[in-house]
Amino acid sequence: MMDSMTQKAGIIAAAAFGVVLVSTSGYSSVSAQGLPEGFKKGELAAEPSAEMIEAGKRVYFTKCVWCHGVDGAGDGPGADRLWPRPRNFNQGTFKIRHTASGELPLFDAKKPIPGQNDLFETVTHGLPGSAMPPWEGILSEEQRQQVLSFVTTQLVKDRKFTDKQSESQTVLQLADLKPKPATDESKKRGGELIVEKKCVECHGMEGRGDGNAFNLKDDWGFSIQPANWHKCWNFRGSRQDPYNVSNIFRTFSTGVNGTPMPSFADNTSVDERWDIANFVNSLCERDPLGNPLPIDPLTDKPKINFVIPSDMVEGEIPTDLEHEAWKKAPKRYVAMGGQITHKPRNFVNRLDDIWVRSLYNDKHIVYLLEWDDRTKSVAEGKLPWAPTQVNIDIKEQDPKTGEEGSIAAHQNNYTVYNDAIAIETAVKWKELPAPIKPRYLFGTNEQFPMDIVKWEADGSLRAFKGTGWDKDFEERDNYEEAMKLLKAEWKNGRWYVMIQRPVGNKKDQDYDEDTFFEVGQYIPTVFFAWDGHNGDAGRKMAVSAFYYTFMNPPVPQETYIYPVVIAVGVVLLEGWVLTRRSNKKKGKTL
Amino acid sequence: MKALMSLGALIGVAGLLLLGGMIFDVVPSNTVRLVEGYMPIQLLLEVACFVIGFTGLSYMMNAMGMALPRFWQGIGFWIFLMVYLKYRVYPPIPFSVRAMYGTVGLVTVFMWVSANEEDWSKFKRPIMNVLDAQTGMNRLLRYVYLVLIPILIGGFSFNAMMPKSEEPIELRTVHPAPPASTKVHGKTYTLQTSQNPYRVNPDGKYDQEFSNANIVEQGMGRLMKPNANPWDEKNQGYLKYVREGGEIFFQNCHFCHGDNLNGRGLHAFAFNPIPANFTDPGTIAQLQETFIFWRVSKGGIGLPNEGFPWASVMPPWEQHLTVDEIWKVVLFEYWHTGYYPRTWD
Repeated sequence: MMDSMTQKAGIIAAAAFGVVLVSTSGYSSVSAQGLPEGFKKGELAAEPSAEMIEAGKRVYFTKCVWCHGVDGAGDGPGADRLWPRPRNFNQGTFKIRHTASGELPLFDAKKPIPGQNDLFETVTHGLPGSAMPPWEGILSEEQRQQVLSFVTTQLVKDRKFTDKQSESQTVLQLADLKPKPATDESKKRGGELIVEKKCVECHGMEGRGDGNAFNLKDDWGFSIQPANWHKCWNFRGSRQDPYNVSNIFRTFSTGVNGTPMPSFADNTSVDERWDIANFVNSLCERDPLGNPLPIDPLTDKPKINFVIPSDMVEGEIPTDLEHEAWKKAPKRYVAMGGQITHKPRNFVNRLDDIWVRSLYNDKHIVYLLEWDDRTKSVAEGKLPWAPTQVNIDIKEQDPKTGEEGSIAAHQNNYTVYNDAIAIETAVKWKELPAPIKPRYLFGTNEQFPMDIVKWEADGSLRAFKGTGWDKDFEERDNYEEAMKLLKAEWKNGRWYVMIQRPVGNKKDQDYDEDTFFEVGQYIPTVFFAWDGHNGDAGRKMAVSAFYYTFMNPPVPQETYIYPVVIAVGVVLLEGWVLTRRSNKKKGKTL
Repeated sequence: MKALMSLGALIGVAGLLLLGGMIFDVVPSNTVRLVEGYMPIQLLLEVACFVIGFTGLSYMMNAMGMALPRFWQGIGFWIFLMVYLKYRVYPPIPFSVRAMYGTVGLVTVFMWVSANEEDWSKFKRPIMNVLDAQTGMNRLLRYVYLVLIPILIGGFSFNAMMPKSEEPIELRTVHPAPPASTKVHGKTYTLQTSQNPYRVNPDGKYDQEFSNANIVEQGMGRLMKPNANPWDEKNQGYLKYVREGGEIFFQNCHFCHGDNLNGRGLHAFAFNPIPANFTDPGTIAQLQETFIFWRVSKGGIGLPNEGFPWASVMPPWEQHLTVDEIWKVVLFEYWHTGYYPRTWD
């Protein structure tokens, strides 16, 4: 074993050697031992004990078998409705590792140590953005090690974790590699490198995962999408610590086995890899001050604020995103789940969040909706149904892999419909006793209808009345003329849509159909989104929970007057108490 | 006595350090984890530990001649309580509820310091000293208070009057009253008399004892009993149906209720509130199997008017599943969480 000094010297020597290589062959950062920079040879771990394996079987058949299947082939009963699919263990292909591309991950049944046991960390923290949950707090540390002992020895069938002949371990020394500070210079260099190293070909010009979104397949022939760098909480390797740059560095260094994501260890230096990681990390959504978004430990997604505040502007509402008013307007994260309540259910939901901002003036309210969608989808020709139709002929996928109509067969192979978004607000929300809300899905009934404004990628902006999840929409007379589409643009994997509608009042509008937006009130609001390339149409869509639109009232005068009055009152009170006390001491009575 | 008290003091110091460390992220915030399902009792025990700790601490400090005045003890304990409620309890409780606890806590502290005349005069001594301002220090303090109190109160009222857009608090009924009977797929089920047709022994007879003997074990992990593997091909009766129920669960329900039935499925993050956690002893463990059958069949939309506000997007599963499938899913949910359904007798 080298001590850290000689090791550092070794790295410096290797780097120097790399420089020499660059000038001669253009092939950099391979050390003298033929290992990529930052890696070191490791030892294969010993086989887990028979007791561990037997105990692990019990854990596996209670918790894991339902998705990963009896033989660990990733074909349990839950598998066919999941995308990404559960891991097929048989080939020993694992995504998140500290080991070189193609190698087995680190696993040692005796060492549940972060950084030295990849599989243990995967089970502990789960794989965000997939159905694999974090098992920490559910299974004990020992139980997690036991089940992994079972999986690695019994269900990994094509390879053997202990076979010195066929397996090797080349381990990324992440603990010894100090992250490079994320300076502007480092991020700038990273931004240039992702173009040079062709990352943008798959991940897209803005890193939203929109490049080459249709031709990528994993080792099993299933279609697969590049990661969206703006949603670091969905990175499989984020280890419940999404803003940690080391995770990106690790994935970039080791590649993702079984997918088209290669390891870049051989053609980038450690320094370059930190630049790239810093750049990618800087793209992840942050708050206006540039701080990481707070993550909800219950869901491992950004914390949700269910109030969408709308600020007042004087005069026309600006349409330019760079305008001061839009930059100041608070931006809200709206979480979107698949509509899995009524048929056809949307099990594989491609749109998992929308960012919403809002402004209003005396006549109109404008919503600015931004969401990532890897594909711009506009249906070719006329759709076979009317815009008002909800009960349309879209089949729910059969839960059988490989067969016609299954999710696996359909993935990236749907008839393309329109991308679309809708804002649903409650009509007569004031008549609902305090906490009651109408049903989120297109309204409850004729008595509690919903006001639905829907934009579709064909450029249409329509207004409907919804009276129940299974009822077709009703057209609203000439309301559309009062609305205006201020912006609808798809750029590098993101939609920017700006919808203007009247705030409404009793005089000009229809009380039974239109929502009146009243300043200082909580107006129940739901969002729907459709991804045309995912075959989304009708009820097959993404939905949000109930949010509230809240138009911030101007600050009333009293706010500045009363506190002063109160403070003065307190001063007088103090005077009275003091006088009384001193009089009492002097023996006087008041 | 002294040994006992010093032990108490030790607990107090250790507890305070741990709590402080967890709040300020010196040690990982999950060092002492809140155990799901046992949280209320755990919190009560923790607070009890702290009270013992404080008693010990106060005794020791007294013995060492560094007694803390009763005034500061009272205020200190109340502050501790508020900090504990704000930072320890997760998921966080809304301010209005904390304010309620705070008031109750304040009253308790007040009762404690005014338990007898002597205590009361000890408590109000520091206040009187500042009012009288006999020493330079107290005079300084008096002026500081004279200026600070109006500013603070003015500031608070300004803050309170500023228009805000906080989330309105929503109440909901957790277990709405069930109807006497429910009609699913054309057949009427009386909730009081219906039984799960799959809770049967290998001979096909309804057998609660047999099924209770084969559910998963309580305790960490909630693992299946050895030799009671639902995936064993030879199973007849209960365990066979558990497996079939599990297959249905993992094709339909886990998207929201989660792989571990704890309400943290793939789509759960988009919900408000997040879906029901069956591992919590307050959900299915409190209910009869027929109640679950009714809730699953009719979903959120089928809740009675008294069940308002709904705040449930649970689908009416009769649209998607057969009666047999629903019974099997219910069976699986009890198996996987290790709870016995409540019975009518």
